[in-house]
Amino acid sequence: MGRADPRLPGGDVRAGDDHLRHRRRRPGRGLTDDRFALALMAPAAVFLAVFVGWPLVKLIVDSLYDIAPLAGTREFAGLGNYGEALTSPGFLGAAGRTALYTMLVVTLEFTLGLAVALLFNALGRRARWIRTLFLYPLMIAPVVAGLLWRFLLIDNFGIVNELLTRLGIIGGPDAIGWLSDPDIVLFSVALPDIWLTTSFMALVLFAGLQNIPGDVLEAARLDGSGPWHTLTRVTLPLLRPVIAVALVVRGIDAARAFDVILIQTNGGPQSASETLSLLIYRTMVRFGEPGLASAMGTLYLIAMLGVALIAVATIWRPGKVVR
Amino acid sequence: MTSRTSTRTLLWALLASIVVLYAFPFGYLVLTSLKPPTDAIAVPPTVLPKAWSLENYGTALATPGVIPSFINSTSTAVISTVLSVLLAVPAAYGITRYGTASGRIFVMLALVTRMVPPVAVGVPLVNLMSRAGITDTPTALALAHTTISLPLSIWLMASFFEAVPSSLEEAAQVDGCSRLQAMVRVVVPVVGGGIAVTAIFAFLASWNEFLFALLLTAVRAQTTPIVIANFQTQYGLQWGPMTALATLYSVPVVLFTLLLQRRIVAGMTLGAVKG
Amino acid sequence: MSHNSGLSRRDLLKWTGVSGLAVMATACGAGGTTSGSGAGGAKALSVLVEAGGKAELTKIAEAFTEKTGAKVTFIELPYDGLFNRLSSELSSGTLSFDVAALDAIWLTAFAGAVRPLTELFTADVKADLFPALVTEAQVGGQFVGMPVWTNAEILFYRKDLFEDAGEQAAFKKKHGYELAPPTTWEQFNDAAAFFTRDGKLYGTDVKGAVETEFLAHVLQAGSPGVVLDATGQVIIDNEQHLKALTFYSDLDNKLKVSPPGAEQLDWAGAQNLFNQGKTAMMRFWAHAFPLIPKDSPVHGKVGVAPMIGGAAGVAGIPGPWYLSVPKATKQADLATEFVKFAYDNNAMAIESSLGLAARKSAFEQYADKPGYEHFEPLLETLNATATKPRPATAKWQQIVDTVLIPTLQQSLTPDADYAALLAAAKGKVQSLAQ
Repeated sequence: MGRADPRLPGGDVRAGDDHLRHRRRRPGRGLTDDRFALALMAPAAVFLAVFVGWPLVKLIVDSLYDIAPLAGTREFAGLGNYGEALTSPGFLGAAGRTALYTMLVVTLEFTLGLAVALLFNALGRRARWIRTLFLYPLMIAPVVAGLLWRFLLIDNFGIVNELLTRLGIIGGPDAIGWLSDPDIVLFSVALPDIWLTTSFMALVLFAGLQNIPGDVLEAARLDGSGPWHTLTRVTLPLLRPVIAVALVVRGIDAARAFDVILIQTNGGPQSASETLSLLIYRTMVRFGEPGLASAMGTLYLIAMLGVALIAVATIWRPGKVVR
Repeated sequence: MTSRTSTRTLLWALLASIVVLYAFPFGYLVLTSLKPPTDAIAVPPTVLPKAWSLENYGTALATPGVIPSFINSTSTAVISTVLSVLLAVPAAYGITRYGTASGRIFVMLALVTRMVPPVAVGVPLVNLMSRAGITDTPTALALAHTTISLPLSIWLMASFFEAVPSSLEEAAQVDGCSRLQAMVRVVVPVVGGGIAVTAIFAFLASWNEFLFALLLTAVRAQTTPIVIANFQTQYGLQWGPMTALATLYSVPVVLFTLLLQRRIVAGMTLGAVKG
Repeated sequence: MSHNSGLSRRDLLKWTGVSGLAVMATACGAGGTTSGSGAGGAKALSVLVEAGGKAELTKIAEAFTEKTGAKVTFIELPYDGLFNRLSSELSSGTLSFDVAALDAIWLTAFAGAVRPLTELFTADVKADLFPALVTEAQVGGQFVGMPVWTNAEILFYRKDLFEDAGEQAAFKKKHGYELAPPTTWEQFNDAAAFFTRDGKLYGTDVKGAVETEFLAHVLQAGSPGVVLDATGQVIIDNEQHLKALTFYSDLDNKLKVSPPGAEQLDWAGAQNLFNQGKTAMMRFWAHAFPLIPKDSPVHGKVGVAPMIGGAAGVAGIPGPWYLSVPKATKQADLATEFVKFAYDNNAMAIESSLGLAARKSAFEQYADKPGYEHFEPLLETLNATATKPRPATAKWQQIVDTVLIPTLQQSLTPDADYAALLAAAKGKVQSLAQ
């Protein structure tokens, strides 16, 4: 039905326009390919410029000012906000925690995801329904996942400690303060994130595994290579591009984590789970210091870009994959 | 032979335990929502309800704003999905088909967009929307959500277009189609499945989003994730109704995606994307 | 598969057209809340409230509509979202509301953006409000908000345990005086230790994720203020703060009378522990008394008493919400009328799920009725001479989030050096308050 129907109501004017364009283009080929491509990209580019570019410019401009939103004052502060951010233990701590959180999430997801993908691959078609089941956490809102895990881990009535106690793994329901012990809380708040997206890792890696030609693995086996050796020397190098994409994508997402943590601990206890997103949000909207928050946001963005580019350059290595 | 079978069994057992671990959290959420409110937060907790009750659902649905929030979530996600697909399809086509320098720059910039922490652009976006006079409307929120889903959609659509041989539109152009006609009438229909996948991801990105919804909506456009978080008030937290609402909000997408799982897996693995 | 999902260019244009129209249509409809108040048309008022507080105002709003014909709509937001919305809208001047319910601690921050309501504060009005609220409502010599409801922490205890003859005898034998709801820190410690029974029951809870309760103890110890004194000097390291922190955290560190997880325990968690019968006593906001669920194991077994007292006697931190009218509203008169109406009909708020008011007379009207046993202790706590509001500083939220709560949480470790923690806190507060 989607095919052009010139008799569509309201279509007449446009139809005329169509003819006009044909006439204009046919003789001299009209737009060059370059221009045509540009015209196709233009709407999306304009959209992103307005709704992402402009706010980013605003962010960077604001980062150079001392702003008191309620008093309505705005004074140029040069790089003062950057100085303040870079010398504040809160910002540096949050930056460290963001890095740690990202590492934690990505490492665990990758390890678990790879294990599951290898399992799927070993079991073949019969594991299909399980692959379907694995999909479901991906669809759940991070807010819901955060609440759910908070509910599972919460002190006094969390089911996880209760079950661990009954299984005899821990001494009592109060043995682990998942969300109240500052030493482990960063790990605990990462659990929903890991739970939500390990499936993503698993499915992407599984697809990558399926694309590895069987004869390559067979050759390795015939060469007398053990399973571990095959995995580290043959399979993983072949998966490199897939792994790179998956790690970069997940790393970016994990570094921006906001709602899962907000809903679980709101950054506590003792700020032990306060990541940069939370700190910036707080500084911006709760403490009313948009200038400082913008400087933090800008630094955060620069760091993300830097790390992502390095990651892409070192592990992606586009082009021919080494055997 | 026997050692091989036992390895198999071990693998299956391993997988089964992972599955149980995986299914448990959500199962527990659903079970909790079916407990009477006080049992939901009993100390010590129980896995299975001692008594079954729909009271939490009653409370959740009777809470003002809950039902409108479902409508808001749906309309926001639909607007954002349509917008995202409409912008992404031509852009991705332009990028993959012409391989121009501008296209490569655009892909880079779109990737950079994906790295922008939402919290950094959230507040400027609020100002932008209020200047346009559209704060607290599904449209405003949908525009914000499109900033998240558009880079993803472009990326995804680009992978789908790449899979289409360029001989297709060359043939169409030989037949007298313009480039635009070749794209719209020949190539786009071929990637219909890809568009569906892209749409699913755009929809999910909007349906599940929290931060922009918190910043950009007040009363008329409030989406369900905000209402769920609203059960945590200054003086208390109503776990029971909250689990009920969380279940209600998640079940449709979970079922929906299980039905469409093949397309979703295709989408994820093609573009290596998380919705 | 491809046929249905294919879009022709014409469809595409049509869709963009439609969505473009949709954008415009909503754009036109949006600004309506405040601007739709033209002469002659139906009057309408938007009130911004926290999700938990809306019920307090619903009855009043209905009566207001009946009287004036003005329709009242509520904008509900979660606590965090509310502050954010207030600060972004008040600073930009584009408002979606005409009246806002402000948490007491935000008054100072928003004082410059709301209209003075001084003319509403007649001598009669001031006499009928708790002294701490009259003080708190003034910022820079002007009254900037009218209290609508206030809360304070009182003592909840298990009547069935405290009135049990066996428990009473055992307590007397151990401590040498009659078991009764404690009125002092010492009695509280005794009772808490007495009722702590290896994991089945705890004497009380210790809340590490909220700060107000600790601050109430600071006032009970006789401090001239909490964190800051009246002149804005940082006094968080004074002797009374130290005494209060020692009392507060020793319950968990030394006496071990509280359930695990004190560091992240917040109001909701503490309330649940008590309602589940896990704690014998709880210091908690008074409104929770009628909210003990019918199916809770402690339903009907709970007594209430005024907040405990220290050297300076009983004291609490009032937790009021104020109605304020933003300067930028186009309906200032109607909004002010609503604020006055809410004060005049304050008692209506009591018949709501939160069940609180701000006027003494409103509380007193109900205090004798069954089911309102918590009002007498609440009145006593709010009227106590040592009861004071939190300091008026725009940085309060930041002090709480970045200094007070982390300090409390750090104090909840067995070897915590309370004096050192408070000294460190002083430096941080000073750098924030500048």
